[in-house]
Formats: sequence, C-alpha cells, structure tokens
Amino acid sequence: MKKLLPSLLIALIASSAVMSQKSYDQFQIQVDGLGCPFCAYGLEKKFKEFKGIKKITIDIETGNFKFQYPSDTTLSMSSVVDQVKEAGYTPKDAVIKRADGALENFSSNQTKENNPNQAQQQLAVHGNCDMCKSRIEAAALAVNGVTFALWNTATKKLIYQTDTAIPESKIAQNIANSGHDSSLAKAPTEVYNNLPPCCTYRKK
Amino acid sequence: MKLYTTLSCWLYCAILWSQGPPITGDKPIMLGGKSFTVKSLTEIRTTQRGTSTYVPVMLHYLPSSNSLVAVHLPLINTRFKGEETSFSLADVQILGKYQFFRKDATGKTFRIIAKTLQTLPTGKALDIIGQSTKKYQGYYGVVGGYETLKYGISSEIGYNWSPNATLDEFRAKLGFGLPLLKPQYPNKQINLYFEYTSMWLVQREWYQLLYAQGIQYALKNITFDLAIQFPLVNDLPEARKLKQSIFLGSRYTF
Repeated sequence: MKKLLPSLLIALIASSAVMSQKSYDQFQIQVDGLGCPFCAYGLEKKFKEFKGIKKITIDIETGNFKFQYPSDTTLSMSSVVDQVKEAGYTPKDAVIKRADGALENFSSNQTKENNPNQAQQQLAVHGNCDMCKSRIEAAALAVNGVTFALWNTATKKLIYQTDTAIPESKIAQNIANSGHDSSLAKAPTEVYNNLPPCCTYRKK
Repeated sequence: MKLYTTLSCWLYCAILWSQGPPITGDKPIMLGGKSFTVKSLTEIRTTQRGTSTYVPVMLHYLPSSNSLVAVHLPLINTRFKGEETSFSLADVQILGKYQFFRKDATGKTFRIIAKTLQTLPTGKALDIIGQSTKKYQGYYGVVGGYETLKYGISSEIGYNWSPNATLDEFRAKLGFGLPLLKPQYPNKQINLYFEYTSMWLVQREWYQLLYAQGIQYALKNITFDLAIQFPLVNDLPEARKLKQSIFLGSRYTF
C-alpha cells in the first residue's frame, strides 16, 4: 500500500501534465514593408490581438515573421494574411504547419501561379535566405512572359514557367542584376556588395 | 515658477511619451490599425523677441492601417523682451492623415499620405507662428517617405491657409535618417537625423530655411529625441529673426 500510493500520485501528476499540455500550430510569414524596427513592433502589436499567441519572432532583415498559436482554436490563413494587411504591411508568402502535421501555403504571387499545362524549367541560382528567395523570385517574375517562379532555399534551384519563348540567359541576367549569381550570369560586384550580410553567398 | 512648471511638464512627457522619426518633420508610416500613440515634442524657440517654450501633448489614433486622426493640446510659456512672462494654452490642432500609396519590398517601404492640420484659435494672440496666433489656419499637404533598414528619407510639401490672418505659407520639408546601430528587433536604436524645413509666408514675404540636427534613442515602443534647429536663411524683419530652436521629444505607442 505504501508503494502503491506514491505510484498513483506520480501517475496522476503525469497524466494531468499530459492533459494540460497544449499543442500549437506553427506560423511562418514573409512580410514586406518592414523598413525599420518600429515597423516590426507595429506588426507584433497587431498580432497580439490574437489571444494565446506565443513565441513571436521577427527577423527584420529578412521579413521572416514566426509565431505559435494554440491548435484548438484554429487560426485560418486568411485571418493571418488579413492581419498583416491590417497592420499596414504586405504578406508575401506564408506557411502554416498544423499540430497534426498538415501544411497550408499562401503566396502573393497567386496571380502568377504554377500552370500545369506549361513546362517547368530550372535554373541554379546562388542565395541563402528568405530575403534572397523574395529577391530572386521578384527578379524572375519581372521578366515579361515569366508566369511562375519559385526558388528553393535548400536546393538553390529556381523553378519557373513562361508563356512565351524567353531565352534563359535573359532571366538569369535579370536575376544577376538583382545580386544573385546563376549558372548563366554573374551579379555585378557593386550590386553584390550592396546585399545585406545574410544574403552574401560568395566565399571570401 | 512657470518655467519650472513647463520643465516639469516636459520631464513628465519625456518619461511617459515618446516622439518618433523624423523629429521636426512628419512620416507616412502608421503603426497598425486601432492603436494609440501618445507623444510630445517640446520646442524651446529663441528669437530676437525672446524665448517661447511650447509643450504639446499629442494623442494619435489609427482607425485603420492607412488613416490617422489626432489632437494636439499645447501649452506655451513666453519670455519676451519688455513683456511679462506668460503661461497659457496655445492653439489646439487637429491632425488627419490618409495613406493613398504604398509600395513594400523586403526590408523597405515607400509610402505617400495626404495630410491636413487644422489650427484652432484657442491660444493667445502672440503671433508665434505654428504655436500661438489665435487665428484659424488650415494646412493641406502631402508627405512621402522611403524607409529602409539602412536609411530613411522623408519629405513633405504643403500650403497653410489662413483666411483671417497673414499666415498663408508654403512649407516644404526634407529629412534623412541614419541608424547608427545594426537593425534589430526588439528595437534598440540610435538614429541620427538631418532635416531641412523651408517656410515662405506669402503675404508677409518672410522666408526661412532651417536645418535641424537630431539624435534619437529608440526602444521597442518608446523613443526619446533631441534636436537643435537653426536658420540657414533667415529673411525675416529685425526683432523677429530666429536664433535657434531646441526640440525635446518622446513617444509611447500602445
């Protein structure tokens, strides 16, 4: 009996701890327009209207905004995107990883989205972070005729689609002019030197 | 005693409230809809007439992410040559802003707003321009700003209309901000400001080009500002010329 009582007590505490453990959805949003640390404060303040929000982090150099939210009160992608707009900034991309492992995506380039009828092409482009991703995709999409562009930070590959015949070198040159080397074009030194430190990829 | 009261008011403001960038100019960035900012920007203006200390308490409210309404309640203390020291309410001002253009990119933003500042004749008729005139005035202008993590540029152009006075004025401002510390969040910033103000009082044919050198210490939602402004061009009648203005400001957003 003396041994049973502490065991029961431990089991009770453990089970109540498990019961009280909340699961959280993970949110990651790429926000444009954070031109100063005060802007980041405006964003954080606006999101604190979501009661229960936790672990807010904002990297102002990349615009990478992350937080956690209790999964039992589902926060929708549209609410998150609208809240960024309400704060006065531009949501570019967003990913929600739900507690059950489900993924939800948002991209502001939805008007230029992947068309299954068009062939995808690939280009190796140097870069590091989400800020690079934003710059590379914007440079690719700025070329007339490019309908879709997605750069992967892990593989360093740009996947793109076009609705007309565009020389690959033209897209590569536009990306190079934004500061990113590719297998076809090299960024001008003065442009590269102006990249934020997190975006520099050439070995010294 | 009155000067002591004024300084106490400023110290109180400095502790509780803070003023944001730029210091003597205006900015087109608004920090989130449905939020309040309380701020103060005390100006100690020394002219050939004497010294005036202007202490406004400003309450700003953002009904949405692209609009702002505010009320400025100022007190003024004057010590003019040959006159008794006075301490009174200055001209109350109502401010409205509407952002009609915004272009965002990673780590940068460009915005333009329309602005109006309605000055109510609540102060004494001291003819202290922009502070206490006891004349209704309506200012209408446009403010543009380009803000990046490396620097900020703000500009403003507008016209001040005074139907019952000779205070009609063309006004233009240009300011540059330079952060001295690496951008980081939560904020810890020291910023330098270089600001120019051009003021042309049309009916009086007075013209001033002013330069302000400012420094700002900013934390997460509070800032402290200090600037000194002096004339580069001072085309005013004798006895009215500006010697310098000192600005002490603070802002708190909640």
